[in-house]
Amino acid sequence: AVLKKRLVKLVVNFLFYFRTDEAEPIGALLLEHCRITKEEENVFSISFIEEPERKYCFECASEEQCQEWVEALKRASYEFLRRSLIFYRNEIQKMTGKDPLEQYGISEEARFQLGTHQQ
Amino acid sequence: MKLNERSVAHYATCDSPADHAGFLRKRVERHHHHAHHYGTSYQRRWFVLKGNLLFYFEDRESREPVGLVVLEGCTVELCEAAEEFAFAIRFDDAGARAYVLVADGQATMEAWVKALSRASFDYMRLVVKELEKQLEEACKSLAACRKSPRRSSSSGRKRHLSNPALLPLQEKPSILENGYSTWGSGGCIPGGAACPDHDGAQSKPPPLPPRRRSATGSATGSPVPGLSPAMLESPVSPDTVCFSKLHNWYGQEIVALRQEWQERQKRGHL
Repeated sequence: AVLKKRLVKLVVNFLFYFRTDEAEPIGALLLEHCRITKEEENVFSISFIEEPERKYCFECASEEQCQEWVEALKRASYEFLRRSLIFYRNEIQKMTGKDPLEQYGISEEARFQLGTHQQ
Repeated sequence: MKLNERSVAHYATCDSPADHAGFLRKRVERHHHHAHHYGTSYQRRWFVLKGNLLFYFEDRESREPVGLVVLEGCTVELCEAAEEFAFAIRFDDAGARAYVLVADGQATMEAWVKALSRASFDYMRLVVKELEKQLEEACKSLAACRKSPRRSSSSGRKRHLSNPALLPLQEKPSILENGYSTWGSGGCIPGGAACPDHDGAQSKPPPLPPRRRSATGSATGSPVPGLSPAMLESPVSPDTVCFSKLHNWYGQEIVALRQEWQERQKRGHL
């Protein structure tokens, strides 16, 4: 496998990659239903649920940067945000007896319901 | 531009619940170099909203989407089109195409506009930050409550209190990273719920999705599918450039496929 130098940019739940001297991306990975794995030193990989053996590998300059990327990418999906929201909502409700989403007028929306997004 | 299209199609069609779905008519956008206008036409498509992604399919049973709209850096507004119940998704990037969609009634139109307006990742992130703060405040007033039990103002909130010594995170359900449930628990804790010094700010409803901005991962790196030392920040909103490319990507695929199909038709093939 040939490794190529790329500029990699995390934008919401997409990982764009560029040739280092170009302004437009040559590719993107949607980061939903994916797994981020720390591989050997300085290396992490991204793989997807429907094709788990296919890994997109990335080598970083240092182990520290590798860890930063792994942490950032694990939290990069919309699904992760949704779960966080549901979790916080539930905790606040347990602690205060109030639904924090009510005042925002979004408490009934499907995307914020506890239990609907368990897979 | 490459995309992990199998994964995208899988995400679009898998049984993870959609945030909204339904038939809409989508205005066909003609390229500006088509000098002769045959008037506007619409195509009926099956739309599925999952997170910040709006997929559309030729029909409800299709196994792959024919298009994808990434709902970042956009506004959703009612439309002065000739059609009733029309609304548009418009992007901050003036060069990006708008999507004009038509619902079949007032209620469905309103439901779509509402769902799409709040679909962005940025909006979600905002709401999560708000809740994080609220949880911290709840923790804090709980702790304060314990220290000075004379504080009657907090007494009304004692009904559902858990032990403050036990960080709420202890009870968390297994937070599964990136929605990857079949691979076991990812064990990601959604941010800390520490109690900072914070005076109880008045909670305001999260504003409508901000027009700009997204987090860029920091990367300094080296060779190989590398992370370059320089994080280039183009002055011209690189993010919408990226998403425009994504929108065009799907459009091109379909144009190419259609041409191919038409060629074959002409040649009398199936």
